[in-house]
Amino acid sequence: MKNNQSVIAATAVPIGLSARLHILSLAIIAMLVLAPAWVCAGPSGQAMSFTCAGCHGTDGSSVGPSMPAIAGMDPEVFVDAMKAYREDKRNATIMNRIAKAYTDEQFQEMAWFFASQRLRLFPQPYDTVLAERGAELHDDYCEKCHEQGGRPGDAGTLAGQWMPYLHFTMEDFLNGKRKWPRKMQRKVDAAIEEAGDDAIPALINYYGSQQ
Amino acid sequence: MPSRIASTGVVCLLAALLGSIIVPVAAATTTDADQGLMIDHFDPETGKRIIPNERCLICHGDDQQKTDVRDDGSPVQIFVHREQIESSVHGSLQCTSCHVTIDRVPHREAPAVIVGCVECHRETWAEHKDDPDGEYERLAVVNEQIDSYLQSIHAQPHALDQSHTNATCYDCHQGHNVGELGSIQRAEFRLNNPEVCGDCHEAQLDEYRTSTHGKLVLEDGDSDAAVCSDCHTTHDIAPAETDKAKLAITQNCGNCHEAAQRTYFKSYHGQVHRLGYTDAAKCHDCHGGHLVKGEDDPTSEIHADNRLENCRNCHEEANENFLSFWPHGDAHDRENYPELWGFRVFMEILIFAVMAFFWVHVLLWLFRELMDRSQGKGFVEDLSKPDLVYFRRFPVVWRWIHFLFAIATMVLILTGTTLLFSHTAWAKAVVEFLGGIRMEGIIHRTAAVIWLSIFIAHLAIATSNIWRKRKTFEWFGSTSMVPSMKDFCDLRDMFKWFLGRGPRPQFSHWTYWQKFDYWAPFWGATVIGISGLILFMPDKTSLILPGWTFNIANLVHAEEALLAAIFLNSVHFFNVHFRPERFPMSTAIFTGVIPIDEFKHDHRLEYERLVEAGELDKHLVHRPSRRMSLAASFITTVLIMAGLALLTLVLIGLVTLPR
Repeated sequence: MKNNQSVIAATAVPIGLSARLHILSLAIIAMLVLAPAWVCAGPSGQAMSFTCAGCHGTDGSSVGPSMPAIAGMDPEVFVDAMKAYREDKRNATIMNRIAKAYTDEQFQEMAWFFASQRLRLFPQPYDTVLAERGAELHDDYCEKCHEQGGRPGDAGTLAGQWMPYLHFTMEDFLNGKRKWPRKMQRKVDAAIEEAGDDAIPALINYYGSQQ
Repeated sequence: MPSRIASTGVVCLLAALLGSIIVPVAAATTTDADQGLMIDHFDPETGKRIIPNERCLICHGDDQQKTDVRDDGSPVQIFVHREQIESSVHGSLQCTSCHVTIDRVPHREAPAVIVGCVECHRETWAEHKDDPDGEYERLAVVNEQIDSYLQSIHAQPHALDQSHTNATCYDCHQGHNVGELGSIQRAEFRLNNPEVCGDCHEAQLDEYRTSTHGKLVLEDGDSDAAVCSDCHTTHDIAPAETDKAKLAITQNCGNCHEAAQRTYFKSYHGQVHRLGYTDAAKCHDCHGGHLVKGEDDPTSEIHADNRLENCRNCHEEANENFLSFWPHGDAHDRENYPELWGFRVFMEILIFAVMAFFWVHVLLWLFRELMDRSQGKGFVEDLSKPDLVYFRRFPVVWRWIHFLFAIATMVLILTGTTLLFSHTAWAKAVVEFLGGIRMEGIIHRTAAVIWLSIFIAHLAIATSNIWRKRKTFEWFGSTSMVPSMKDFCDLRDMFKWFLGRGPRPQFSHWTYWQKFDYWAPFWGATVIGISGLILFMPDKTSLILPGWTFNIANLVHAEEALLAAIFLNSVHFFNVHFRPERFPMSTAIFTGVIPIDEFKHDHRLEYERLVEAGELDKHLVHRPSRRMSLAASFITTVLIMAGLALLTLVLIGLVTLPR
């Protein structure tokens, strides 16, 4: 007991100059270690989303015909897609690599950003005859999920979507490269049974015609 | 290359590049501003998707495609009536208010129908019960029903699959079609009640269809006829084999069949039911439960051809005489049951006459003794000279007989009046305390056997006493119990004394009220004993007596017992214990002796006769020991208190008797 008290008494002497320098250097090292984490805490959904603009256009309104427009996209559909890419569950070109760099929270923030944007559509050429046929097929087989002619919603964005992109996507579904959403295969099969080989082009032209 | 050309090329290139950017942007169209932004379809606070009812009704409101297929290919009904929902009490709610697990449309997985009615109704009521506009007041009833449901068999886990309850709210209520009070939807819901219950209870529905109730409801659409919930209750459903269910169902029959229930409750069967026991016949035991039909229907359980077999379900030895029993005999219905009516009128006149006469007698006597005592008259104990000499009134055998008879009578009154006043809470408590209706029956019958045995033993002793003294016995002598003219004169003179118009008459060994107290049980024992024996052994007595004698026996047994219970515990108590000269009690029946001064006062003629004959000394004894006096006082006190308690219970029963 006595020994302990004498140790405490010994440390209670005024701090010397060398000791002050030592504390200062420790503080600097601590700042250097902590600073990168502090800086990294911040990229907002908006900032992260700007990196998408190269392909998906400014604020997600794509100008490249094979690039899907993602402005005004349903945020849950966005997150589903990104997670599927990250986990290699969806046929991708490069999105599977990109998606792997983000956390669930970052997906969510980007989703809210794109959901807050208004989709701008660009005119694209389409076949009016096929589009009319597509409208009929859409009403019979697609409208219940892709409501209001395929406007952005919980079943994705079809209305005004770039036709080449729609074409590639449907090929992926039909070729088994992409997993059908629940009930969709039954509906697409029924549409093809009714309209034959024209079914898919007709539907794509119908969606492309909505500008 | 000239620099000008070069610069022109650069400008063109720049213009082309600029054009390639500007032109598409200029040609672009934005989505309709009226649609709002995608983010507006999400709740800003919770981040949850807002799914409008219209979105659900695209698929679920499509009357062209009422079914869909599940993932396993099996068909599933998905259609809901938009109009029904909108006009129901839940019309203003969102689909997802109840279908809380639905978060994606189209559904990514097969949706589970998980609806928590209870929590929502409880929370909403807790939130709005103090609202001044009373808009949500109906939720008070809903919450009561919820509490009942949670206690019911329907809320118990299913025996074969504990993950489900036996039934839940929306198995019976169509959540999309719950109408306001008085709405067409509710009327339809009532008429559809048997079919809803029949979804699970198929066999019961099949039986119900053939019943009078079922035909009226299901064939004629008569909503006044009984549906399942009228008998079984709506939410407080108990398993059919339990007492709770049987009691409730029988009670509920009376909601429509009031007269039948009133007469049923007057019968032994009904009295047992009203005490909360199912041991005796209930409505459905005789009339059939789901198969209930009129007595003219040959397939009815109460049809004349089927009735005896019906009785034999309980009374295995029942014979043809049972058929003349009136299960709903009404002693107030002179037209249909004149015999029963006659017996009731006779018994009621007897009760009123006896009680009115003796209560007047009591009150006048009380008045006179109080008046006399205020003037220093009457028999007043001289405290400075306590009696040391006593007169022997009762030998040991009579004291024992009175003691046992009193105990047996009180036990019989207690157990018997629980049936007569089965509507009271005290009756139910007494029966429960005694160990149930069957134990009570055993106690009542045991006490009855003791009671009758004492009565017969007393007759044997009295007869043998008279036989031994047959040569000298004076039937109308001073010590005889046989009423004489003097008794009627004494009665007249007592009334004169009561009214201050004459002296108090002088009595012999037995006064007229003592003789009445003695002879009244002869009549009572005969009436109660015979009717009791008929009811004791219905299978045996029906071999020689018609069934309606049970109705008569039940009536007179109860009425006579009622008379005895009131008379003994009021008039007899007053005459012996409570009149001012004797108050608070006389212990003579237990000590067997009374002070000689009291004997002189009350039995002056006998005293003088004994003195004259020089026989007084034979009857004189010492004062009883202190221990003997205390014991007698204790026993008397206990019996008086018990008697007064019984009188109180009987009067409570009489005053609260339902019409």
